[in-house]
Amino acid sequence: MQTATAAEPLRTPALLAENISKAFVSGQQRTQVLDGLSLSLDAGELTLISGPSGCGKSTLLAILSGLQKVDSGRVHALGSELGQLDMRALERFRLQHTGFVFQGFNLFPALSAFEQVELPLNHMGLSRNEARARAQSSLEEVGLAHRMRLRPSELSGGEKQRVAIARALAKKPELLFADEPTSALDAANGQMIIDILHRIARTHGTTVLCVSHDPRLVVHADRVLAMEDGRILSDWRTHAPVIDSKELPL
Amino acid sequence: MVALARKTLIYEWRRFLPAMLAVGFAGLLQLLQLALVLGIFGSTSLYITGSSADVWVGYPGTQSVGSGRTIDADVESRVLMDPAVLRVEPYIWVDGDWRGPAETGGVSVFVSGIDPSPDALMFSKALPPSLRARLAEPDAVVVDRSVLNQLGVDIGQTATINGHQVRVVGISSGLRALGGVNVLCSLDTARELDEDPADIGPTYLVAKLRDPRQANAVAARLRGDTAFGPYTTWSAKDFARRSVLYWLFDTGAGAGVLFLAGIVFLVGAVITSQTLIAAVNGSVREYATLNALGVGVAALRRVVLEQAFWVGALGLLGAGLLGIVLMLLARSQDVPVVLTLPAVLVCIVLVMGLAAVSGLAAMRSLHRADPATLLR
Ligand SMILES: Nc1ncnc2c1ncn2[C@@H]1O[C@H](COP(=O)(O)OP(=O)(O)OP(=O)(O)O)[C@@H](O)[C@H]1O
Ligand SMILES: [Mg+2]
Repeated sequence: MQTATAAEPLRTPALLAENISKAFVSGQQRTQVLDGLSLSLDAGELTLISGPSGCGKSTLLAILSGLQKVDSGRVHALGSELGQLDMRALERFRLQHTGFVFQGFNLFPALSAFEQVELPLNHMGLSRNEARARAQSSLEEVGLAHRMRLRPSELSGGEKQRVAIARALAKKPELLFADEPTSALDAANGQMIIDILHRIARTHGTTVLCVSHDPRLVVHADRVLAMEDGRILSDWRTHAPVIDSKELPL
Repeated sequence: MVALARKTLIYEWRRFLPAMLAVGFAGLLQLLQLALVLGIFGSTSLYITGSSADVWVGYPGTQSVGSGRTIDADVESRVLMDPAVLRVEPYIWVDGDWRGPAETGGVSVFVSGIDPSPDALMFSKALPPSLRARLAEPDAVVVDRSVLNQLGVDIGQTATINGHQVRVVGISSGLRALGGVNVLCSLDTARELDEDPADIGPTYLVAKLRDPRQANAVAARLRGDTAFGPYTTWSAKDFARRSVLYWLFDTGAGAGVLFLAGIVFLVGAVITSQTLIAAVNGSVREYATLNALGVGVAALRRVVLEQAFWVGALGLLGAGLLGIVLMLLARSQDVPVVLTLPAVLVCIVLVMGLAAVSGLAAMRSLHRADPATLLR
């Protein structure tokens, strides 16, 4: 905490958590999931959170993305304090600024890949043409240009997760949250997903926060946070080779 | 806008089928029930709706056409004095005991004595002119096709009513009565058949106006004159409604209809809402994802309601098509079914109301679409 304030970066962090605590009470039992955790994330970086099962990674993600309230402490996202927003305002905040990728792909069986991506855009007040153009380009960006008309039942697992990423990406969010995005996929597909996430952070300046067990992903992250028992044990930056945006297939 | 509600409905039609069937059958049941009630109880006002009279004159307090008492024949001249009245004719109702040539025992019949002249008002819409003309012969009667077996006669045969011999000269259709059998004859024949010496005048006088729209005003104007003994007046519409309502409530059928309508609505709503709730639960993770991405709960609710609307509309369409077929079938079998525009509207409102209630119930299960549950 002390060192963090001393080394104050020039730009304001995209996400800032100050001394947040969260406990769940079920019956007599009280589980302290997060315990006075502080964290600051910069824009344009892919941060990976790893740690043993049940240590509170998903809970942290839910709190930082405004899906769950803290018991104490504060979360600033893009300059707004999330704790001060009511449900409507939080929905609006998420609509404008955040994207999500979950472990399950959560795609509507009835919609084509293109429609899955277009649907949330319809609610952002974009024109029909703008929404379609964005859906098109983000599907191209995840390499699914030729799969746009297919329904989830006709897509592979990796392709489904890429549709889910495109759905989040098309919103042009400043914050992108991913919880175990690769755990339902094989190594090669997991690799591709993490590559895409990394590229999104680089090319769009998006703050990407990804939770994963998968040690193979560590090398692809800009920064790795190791969690245990509701605290951050270690915080280190990798020297992953910077992917040049010119290399990207379109 | 991506039509999520409709696309899901089409893609997962099997899932929504029970709801559509429930809505459709509920609609069909309501429709047929209403049609039957209107058909059966409508026949109690057939004497009025099948005639072209605008104003009816009868004994005060008369509750239905079949329960009239005689009035003074001189009232006719009083009615004719009104400048709005074009034509007046008497109508005689006699309760009779029918003995046919076949072994049928006594059958209770409602004898309608009407003017057999071609421009007469009574049953002008229900009786073809050729049949009416045949009534002019003494002791000639016309009976309905649907009761030939019940009466044990056929055309050309003779029978007795209240001990008087009558001859069947024609067979009509669509003249069913409730609680008895209609027999049509001329006014003169009806007077012969009436056994009660106290009956001197007609049971009713029916009048045609120059302007039918004035029926209420003229009926009100003709009322309240006591110079010719007790009588009162109704517009044809009022009297018809009075007759139908009397039967509906006197027989308890009205309460039965409402009860059944309630049950059908309830069962339909339970099935429909359960199906819609299951559909919402099946997509709850997808809805939660949309909510995580910032799509508001209100928008998600609209999707569920829209699905309910389409389920209602499609169910209604099915019910409508099947209903038409069944109505035609019923008509061809002489089952009294009648559908009016208000009755159809009532059915549509009931069915869409059912769908709306189910949609609202299903909407409640959206609260499970909490995006925080996706992060575990
Ligand atoms: N809604 C809840 N009610 C009660 N307890 C909860 C709830 N959500 C999470 N927990 C508890 O909080 C702890 C942390 O959960 P969390 O989902 O954050 O773990 P995690 O680090 O994501 O684990 P994993 O790697 O297995 O996904 C767990 O012990 C869990 O039982
Ligand atoms: Mg987790």
